[in-house]
Amino acid sequence: MAFRGERKSLLPGPGLGNRPEHGSLVTIGARAALLCRSGWFSASTPGQEGTPIRQARLHHEVRQGHPRAALDAEAVRDAYRRWAGVYDGVFGAVSAAGRNRAVAAVNALPGTRVLEVGVGTGLALPRYAREKRVVGIDLSRDMLRRAQDRVVSQRLRNVAGLVEMDAEAMAFRDGSFDIAVAMFTATVVPDARRLLREMCRVVRPGGDLLFVNHFAAEGGLRWWAERTLAPLSRVLGWHPDFALGDLLHDPRSAAEITACAPFGLFTLVRVPNRPFPPR
Amino acid sequence: MSDTTPEAAPSPAPTPGGEVDPALLEILVCPVTKGPLRYDRARGELVSDSARLAYPIRDGIPIMLPDEARQLD
Repeated sequence: MAFRGERKSLLPGPGLGNRPEHGSLVTIGARAALLCRSGWFSASTPGQEGTPIRQARLHHEVRQGHPRAALDAEAVRDAYRRWAGVYDGVFGAVSAAGRNRAVAAVNALPGTRVLEVGVGTGLALPRYAREKRVVGIDLSRDMLRRAQDRVVSQRLRNVAGLVEMDAEAMAFRDGSFDIAVAMFTATVVPDARRLLREMCRVVRPGGDLLFVNHFAAEGGLRWWAERTLAPLSRVLGWHPDFALGDLLHDPRSAAEITACAPFGLFTLVRVPNRPFPPR
Repeated sequence: MSDTTPEAAPSPAPTPGGEVDPALLEILVCPVTKGPLRYDRARGELVSDSARLAYPIRDGIPIMLPDEARQLD
């Protein structure tokens, strides 16, 4: 998963990120592959040369075209298949607190029409309140099928649909939702502001946008332990604008910034939806 | 995915691509033009006349990606 501090090194060109990432977040690297149609990101997993992710990146470097054309859908799906067996277990456990917090926040907000961006295997779907009508989108067909299995087996009648879609070019009418929530997604799409712009568009004015992200583990486990045990202000001080600077024109537009257990590893950000400022 | 139990599986879809919630169809537009879509139930496709693309529906999941769409002539 790419974070603000890493993001620049993940852009195409010299210095394409190969920085070792915290080991337990390998699946999140795979998650990045699944959500991201561009070849610019790095899976940041040492020793992964030869994986579909790596191939896709090379593909992009050779093509020099628009990054969005680089990672073909098959590479995305292959990447997921590599991690499918452990995805829910490892990623699910790592992300549970942030996810639960975000869904609780959604449930507490007014409005019933909910969009989950990057729904993945639907780990969050069973936690939405019954009155919320949820639509989930993702780029990985395999994940969506698993989400669909979950909807059927758990009889989640409030899930109105699952759609394969690019979060940066959504296929929804303006104002289709009251709430859009992106968990572990904003930092892995090629262009977070395009994601934000689309979320603003498909949510009605006055609705809410929610994001859950986590911080880069730049120094491995020790750094992680130190930083996650620090109070929120210190964590924010380390990454003063974390993904917000990449996401929001004005990070002060966030209405709430909440650290989630355990250790504030994840942060929930709520942004009131208002018309997007002109460029 | 094959971990769905047979009794939990939806009944066989009467339309190609599977059923899509009408409320979902109402809010879907073409991702390229943001124009309206026409549901071709017989083919299991969502047709964007403005982009000349037909987006497939597979297993009840609309695939709203231009690369995956069928080009209309």
